[in-house]
Amino acid sequence: METALTLNHFLFVSGVLFAIGLAGVLVRRNLIVIFMCLELMLSAANLTLVAFSRFNVQEGQPDYHGHVLLFFIITVAAAEVAVGLAIIVALFRTKGTTDVSKIDTMKF
Amino acid sequence: MPVYSLEIIVVALGLVMLLVDAFVNLTDKRSIAWIGMLGLLVVFGLLFMVETPENTDSVFWKFYAPDDSYALFFKGIAVLTTLVVLIMGANFSKVVVEQTAAAAKGAHPQAGLGEFFALPMFTCAGLMWMASANNLVSIFVALETVTISFYVLVAYLRRNVGSLEAGVKYLILGALSTGFLVYGFAWLFGITGSMELPVIAEKLSSPDVNATASLFAFALILVALAFKVGAAPFHLWIPDVYQGSPTPITAFLSVASKAAGFIIFLRLSAPFLASGSLVGKVTFVLTIIAILTLLIGNLAAMPQKNFKRLLAYSSIAHAGFLVMALASSPVKGTANALTPATVITFYLGAYLLMTLLAFLVMAVVRSSTTSEDLDSYKGLAKRSPFLAFAMLISMASLAGIPLTAGFFGKFFVFKLAAEAHQWLLLGAGILGAAAGFYYYLKIAASMFLSDSDSPESEPIAIDGITRFAMIILIVAIFAAGINPNLIIGLLT
Repeated sequence: METALTLNHFLFVSGVLFAIGLAGVLVRRNLIVIFMCLELMLSAANLTLVAFSRFNVQEGQPDYHGHVLLFFIITVAAAEVAVGLAIIVALFRTKGTTDVSKIDTMKF
Repeated sequence: MPVYSLEIIVVALGLVMLLVDAFVNLTDKRSIAWIGMLGLLVVFGLLFMVETPENTDSVFWKFYAPDDSYALFFKGIAVLTTLVVLIMGANFSKVVVEQTAAAAKGAHPQAGLGEFFALPMFTCAGLMWMASANNLVSIFVALETVTISFYVLVAYLRRNVGSLEAGVKYLILGALSTGFLVYGFAWLFGITGSMELPVIAEKLSSPDVNATASLFAFALILVALAFKVGAAPFHLWIPDVYQGSPTPITAFLSVASKAAGFIIFLRLSAPFLASGSLVGKVTFVLTIIAILTLLIGNLAAMPQKNFKRLLAYSSIAHAGFLVMALASSPVKGTANALTPATVITFYLGAYLLMTLLAFLVMAVVRSSTTSEDLDSYKGLAKRSPFLAFAMLISMASLAGIPLTAGFFGKFFVFKLAAEAHQWLLLGAGILGAAAGFYYYLKIAASMFLSDSDSPESEPIAIDGITRFAMIILIVAIFAAGINPNLIIGLLT
């Protein structure tokens, strides 16, 4: 029996990836792990873009517009990580922790 | 001179400021801020003489909206805000130096100050580009240019725990909203097969569009945009980040970042609001968000003791009025000069004037009292009558008292909601505005009616350029409050 991969398979996997990332951001307490989960969410979006590009065939070619946005996302995510890790390191130096439940100087 | 050259000039100016910081031996690094201010003044002048080339067929114009008076107006907002932020930054430089400089031998005593003036220039270029972006790719890249430079600016005081905590909170929630935004963009691309907003609008209004998938994409994008503009229930980062950031950056966030968020909001929600099959549900969701934001922002502002936190909740409340305008899209077939886009643009123009004035006064008072509590404003009228007067005008305008710009902002929003028969929304808006009167005028009363706790009675020193900026803002608030066509005329 032959089963071809369809668009829905890709969308399902990327949806699960996005949900795992979001759950990680909400549940985890360590800033570095939260940051990894955020990257997972971006990867989910990238997978969705590639899938939609691949299955939107025009004149025998995939629609490459999705790939263009994907490369921008990868580049921007790299910049975001560079800045983000620097801020997390600076916070670790002054407070000695990366646990989000201890970041509570400002309250209502 | 073509439209897009303005962004290039601003980026070049930022680079020049960085190079001057690195290679010129300055005794006072505040002169870098003067370079930026002068350059931005020139750019503001150039805004009035730009033109779109006749031939707009090339690929570039698929990323950059040609010929758009709203985009130009928002560019003006970005440039003016950055200018005032640099003025405030120059006033604030003592605090920045104290809380960033490492006491290394042979280092410049003001090391680290130059970048504090150069970074807002890059933010400004991002904001200006965002105003013209009409493609999902350029919207994303412009938005991230702004957001990433804001991460650095918010966490700039790296010896101050509050600033770093604010930076981390902004970083995590900003990155989260970026995740939602790109996932929404991916779906929008999948549904319509295009990245260009005009094509997306066309595809979404055709009857054979997949409504469920479109609403899913809209929901994802809406979450991200609500984060950016600070609409409930995604407003939680605003009070903490505003309180922790350096004061000039708080002003930058609350004016420029919100204005840019709203022009993206306008552009991205327009295709959904124009689609016959989606408009009902989209308006319903926007109405819920507007009501929540109005109630939460205004009611939570009432018990605040810290002035920055109060302004943070006030900025949430104003986001509520703006989403309210967005949710009151006119019923089809009624011709009306006041579209939601015009009303939102006017409101943001007025909001710029009054919020920047409040922050300017706050930055000056903060430099002499080292406190941001509301109590430090007690008896300010006796100590520095001019500062108290400027603050009074700003508060009156934020509350929406007639003859000030804020009045017409709220008036137009309410008019729009009444014409769209959004009665529940109108009720929430009026309740919010009434609560606003209480907490804004409470500050005015404490400045004029009570006596100061502190023994100091010397007037607070204001330098010439700050005083000049305040006078300009006060005059502009009255001018727009007496004749709102001054601003609306710029849009047509």
